[in-house]
Amino acid sequence: MMATKSKTSSILIDVLKLQMGNISESIEREGKNILGGSNLLSSEEITDFCLEFLQLLIALLESKDPHDDASPQFHAMEIFFNNLSKQLLVRGGRVEDLVRYIQFMQRTLIESLGTAKSVSPQDMREILLYLSGLFNEMILSVFHAYLDEKERTIYAQEAELRETATPITEIWDGVLTLPIIGTLDSSRTMIVMEALLSRIAAERAETVVMDLTGVKSIDSQVSHHLIQMVRAIQLMGSAAIVTGIRPEIARALTSLNIDLGNVTTRATLSDGLKEAFRRMNIQVTRG
Amino acid sequence: MSLTGLHLTAIGSGRFLLEPGAGLDIGQRDELIDSILGRLQKGEASLMYYHLGGQPVIDEAYYAWLDALARACVAINVRMVCVHMQPTAAFALSHILKAPPAFDSALSVDL
Repeated sequence: MMATKSKTSSILIDVLKLQMGNISESIEREGKNILGGSNLLSSEEITDFCLEFLQLLIALLESKDPHDDASPQFHAMEIFFNNLSKQLLVRGGRVEDLVRYIQFMQRTLIESLGTAKSVSPQDMREILLYLSGLFNEMILSVFHAYLDEKERTIYAQEAELRETATPITEIWDGVLTLPIIGTLDSSRTMIVMEALLSRIAAERAETVVMDLTGVKSIDSQVSHHLIQMVRAIQLMGSAAIVTGIRPEIARALTSLNIDLGNVTTRATLSDGLKEAFRRMNIQVTRG
Repeated sequence: MSLTGLHLTAIGSGRFLLEPGAGLDIGQRDELIDSILGRLQKGEASLMYYHLGGQPVIDEAYYAWLDALARACVAINVRMVCVHMQPTAAFALSHILKAPPAFDSALSVDL
């Protein structure tokens, strides 16, 4: 088996060395068509990319075992495509274009085998299988990079959304407001609670006004999280005032047997603030 | 007055401050409560602050200790107020509690 692998590699190396100019020119031209057309990569970058790819391919073929996907040469090739993929995605490129381009490279290499002399059908089959396996791995590597990049983007967007969806504002000395919009699931509750409790500790906030005007519906899980949040605020030694409970939310809380007996509620955020000021002996008057 | 693992100080007007230390053994709950209550009664206490600044997390066992102490305080007409609860402790405790606790909470000792 090892002898077959060496033969495969030496045939490919011979072809690459003989046809280097043509192969390089062909994949460079196609690269400029696919990637250069939309200005994703400059002409110089594409040239450098083609040269680097061919160098890495030769290094892999010359390695002890070109089939070994744990070898440093194979890893270097994977990293090369991974980085290229990230670079293109950051610049707004499409993963489909890169995959098509990699398939074109594979086709070019296969076509160049036509010039190789006295290659038995068995060797040719081995070479085709090897190239197919290698380029499939590279395509997988590109997809991994694509998914990583997408995940990172989604995570960043989620974090930004969470940040903007629950703005904790110190509206007065010692008074924090927390407007809650949408639903409160477990992960969001944890994030909001962590931020809110830290702010209470940092600002020594005496009162927290939680406004539920933006909460359209409530279920037992959300109401449970709400009560947990109120309880945590009270445990810190602050007062919690819940405002903006819509009639349908109030009805839902009642049917869910949620006891708001220990929670101060007010109709609107404005009423909640007035209550907070009253408790702190603050009087706001028109000048 | 120093008890094993905690410090109880009279801070005036019938108020006391209880500061637990690293050596507090809540396994000795009954003995600790007896000592604390004895001291509170002797000092004609009406309010005891429990300083939680050094307690990063309150688990079931620690809450059981706080609950027992707070209920015992109520029995001798002393209000127990927990102060300086850490955000992490409040977060953890809010997940344990099924009903309002037997103690009150405040940001800090009311001067």
